[in-house]
Amino acid sequence: MIIAERKPLEKILDMVAPFKRICVLGCGTCVTVCMAGGQKEAEELAALISIHRKKENQEGTVEAFTIERQCEYEYIDQVVERLKGYDVIVSLACGVGPQTLVEHVPELRVLPGVNTTSMGYPKEQGVWVERCLGCGDCVLHLTGGICPITRCAKSILNGPCGGSAEGKCELGKDVDCAWHLIHDRLASLGRLGDLAVIQPPKDWSTSHHGGVRTTVREDVKVDRGE
Amino acid sequence: MTEHQNQVSAAANAYPPCQAACPLHQGVRDYLLAIATGNFDQALAIIKETNPLPFVCGTICAHHCEDECRRNNVDQPLSIRGLKRFAVENGKAAVPPPAASKGSKGRVAIIGAGPSGLTAAYDLARLGVAVTVFDREQSAGGAVRHYIPLYRLPDEVIDQDIEEIAAQGVEFKFGVELGRDLTIEQLQKEGYNAVLLALGLPVSRGLNIPGVEGEGVYYALPFLKQVKREGFKFTGSPTVIVIGGGNVAMDVARSALRCGAGKVKLACLESAEEMPAFDWEIEEAKEEGVEMFCSWGPNAILRENGKITGLEAVECTCVFDPEGRFNPSFNQDCKQFIEGDVVIFAIGQGGDPEPVRKEIEVDERGRIVFNNRTMTTSREGVFACGEVVTGPGTAVQSMANGRLAAQAILSYLEGKSFDSAALEEVPAIEQLDQAVLAEVKKVPRNVIPMLTPEERVKHFKQAELGYDTVTAVCEARRCLTCYAGAQRIEELCANCLTCVRICPYNVPVIGEDGQVSIRSKQCQSCGLCLSICPAYAIKFRSPYVEQAVNSIEPAAKELLSAKNGEPAILALTCAYGGFALPEFINNKPEHAAVVRFPCVAKLDSLHLLKAFELGLDGVVVVGCTEEGNASCPYKNVAYWIKQRVARARKMLDEVGLNGERIFYAEMSGLDKEEFNKAVAEATAKVKELGASPVK
Repeated sequence: MIIAERKPLEKILDMVAPFKRICVLGCGTCVTVCMAGGQKEAEELAALISIHRKKENQEGTVEAFTIERQCEYEYIDQVVERLKGYDVIVSLACGVGPQTLVEHVPELRVLPGVNTTSMGYPKEQGVWVERCLGCGDCVLHLTGGICPITRCAKSILNGPCGGSAEGKCELGKDVDCAWHLIHDRLASLGRLGDLAVIQPPKDWSTSHHGGVRTTVREDVKVDRGE
Repeated sequence: MTEHQNQVSAAANAYPPCQAACPLHQGVRDYLLAIATGNFDQALAIIKETNPLPFVCGTICAHHCEDECRRNNVDQPLSIRGLKRFAVENGKAAVPPPAASKGSKGRVAIIGAGPSGLTAAYDLARLGVAVTVFDREQSAGGAVRHYIPLYRLPDEVIDQDIEEIAAQGVEFKFGVELGRDLTIEQLQKEGYNAVLLALGLPVSRGLNIPGVEGEGVYYALPFLKQVKREGFKFTGSPTVIVIGGGNVAMDVARSALRCGAGKVKLACLESAEEMPAFDWEIEEAKEEGVEMFCSWGPNAILRENGKITGLEAVECTCVFDPEGRFNPSFNQDCKQFIEGDVVIFAIGQGGDPEPVRKEIEVDERGRIVFNNRTMTTSREGVFACGEVVTGPGTAVQSMANGRLAAQAILSYLEGKSFDSAALEEVPAIEQLDQAVLAEVKKVPRNVIPMLTPEERVKHFKQAELGYDTVTAVCEARRCLTCYAGAQRIEELCANCLTCVRICPYNVPVIGEDGQVSIRSKQCQSCGLCLSICPAYAIKFRSPYVEQAVNSIEPAAKELLSAKNGEPAILALTCAYGGFALPEFINNKPEHAAVVRFPCVAKLDSLHLLKAFELGLDGVVVVGCTEEGNASCPYKNVAYWIKQRVARARKMLDEVGLNGERIFYAEMSGLDKEEFNKAVAEATAKVKELGASPVK
């Protein structure tokens, strides 16, 4: 899932400063699950903005609510009139949410309330780790299910590099060397020989380097008579 | 019953085991919660919703509820009956006025002022029926008044219940005996629209064994009544042999000890494990010196010159036949002579058909012909209830039967049909499953204090002393608050699995459909999931947490309205243990509002922020440190509340209010000075920080 974390409050307060009627809009899916932008966080942020405004003697109102997914027109449509009643919306969805909102309802002013950090999973309660960069050309079948694109700082395909020491990356002692992990994993699978095969340079055109990616399934598209 | 439904339970599709086991379906969980949080008036009000004899039940109820309490599988059941007694002695709660004006539904005559008749009278009166209760005795209460010994049930206790029943408009006519002073026909001619026979089981059974004729042989009920009402005393400290192994036999044996018996022996057919009396009563009888002769059947009462010398007993090898029917078998080769001077039979009671035989149908065994679905007898407009039709049971079972009769009569008066079999039975929730059970904290039961055995056999004063306030609130805190806790709001839940991961009791599980399922019936009501759920997709089934949350704002506003330049501090404390005592509740620290929270682990960091949004200068969160029999039944409380406080402090720092305005302390509520000190320290610190700039 998509992982995010709330922006520093100071930044949010700066962004909302010119506006009176503020809505903090939670998103009910990924950011709820990673505890960055669900109803609880929306209410907390609303309370914080309200405290700040009262402290600074600023007028205005702050409300908070959540929709199922900010990245779907249909869910936005359900609350579109309500959203139009605010001067600004602080979206707690990942970066997709604010964009979908303004693409679909251009008159809305939408600010990002969270920083989208990664795609990953909760390694333990309260700890979310990145596991996918979305490169568009998955190599996990070659690497024993450990992604060198995401987990190696250099995203190299034939590691490890010279910076690997005692299983750790030269970035720091708390960062695992992805290629060390891959080596141990393949060894446990009896597939160490796979590492003798040199992988050709990666074609990054499938990643964001190739521009905005659009995925199409013609067979499920609705017939618009075009 | 119609109007006395516990509000929370009425909406429930299942009862906690205690409530289901109670024949009156008392809202046990809710009144225990009220006691545990110091709301004794509310506890009594809940009790009175479904119980017209709260004082009697608090004192002598057989507490079927305790038999089913889920704590039986953890440690020991809650002391529910003892807590009921505490509530009736320490709470104040008026019964709301009857729903309809007296007589608007007709007139009913009830014969018999025992628990079943009284319950029917109370219910009918509250529903607008003009009720007259006739009893041959000079006071109301039936068997509990006349036979249950004073050391278990003082008269004043019964009087308090009778007063409340009379206050509902019920009229009593004493010294009037059916068949002697009045007939059913007379009553019907006098205009009573229905007659209810609640005649009880007034006849003590005996055995036709050799030696039974002659002096020195007594029967349980007349004996108990003589002892209780006429001050009967034995002369010459005789050895008394009581025959029987039930509760009445225990009453007889223990009464005999108190009225001059030199020694009391009790012989019964059943083995020690099979004796029908309650274990606690057998235990108390033994403590007082009653000698038990189990698995012995009476063969003959032996006499010399007419005076009893003892009982010849024969070994009882088996009381019940393979079908479970009472059909004792004996080993005639094994006999025992039990020496004694007096024999008292306490082997059961029967009905007396004579007063009604001429007016309603009675079967060949002398029992009233009765339809237990319609609660009717063979005569139009004549109903029956209680032990006369159900056979021997407990007082509370009779009360429930009386309630049923009241419903039947009301239907009759309204021209509607009634079928008890058609009444919906609310099922009990299941017992705890093993994975949950393994995590529940053991907290030992608080024993109800009693006089010592040596002291109590000297007189007929009440043997049980009852809980003091501290012990009562601690005992009530042991309640597992079954089926009051978390439930998932499906449309809000994001299946984030946070609850699954943090619940200490394995209550939330992931279903085969991939959806989180919070097994509300297994929930321990700790509330940890409630205050961490990122979607607010969990709510409590019972409203007590919401009520606590909702009380924060008014408390804060009141405090702020009285602000006089001093810091306004909100203290959010535990509501249990010492924090539930009147001393704590009535303690008002200066410049602070106190909101007691039914476990501070249910506090959300948002609640803390909201306090500052309202303009408060500081918040003190107080968790509890009670130990032993008073300890918190929940797990991980301190860890999680510290996490919440830390988060709220961080957010307060971020918004420039200074997180140091939030204080956290752990203490026992028993020490209110420590609490006052914590508030004073917070006040001093907040003064240093200055008033909150939030206006």
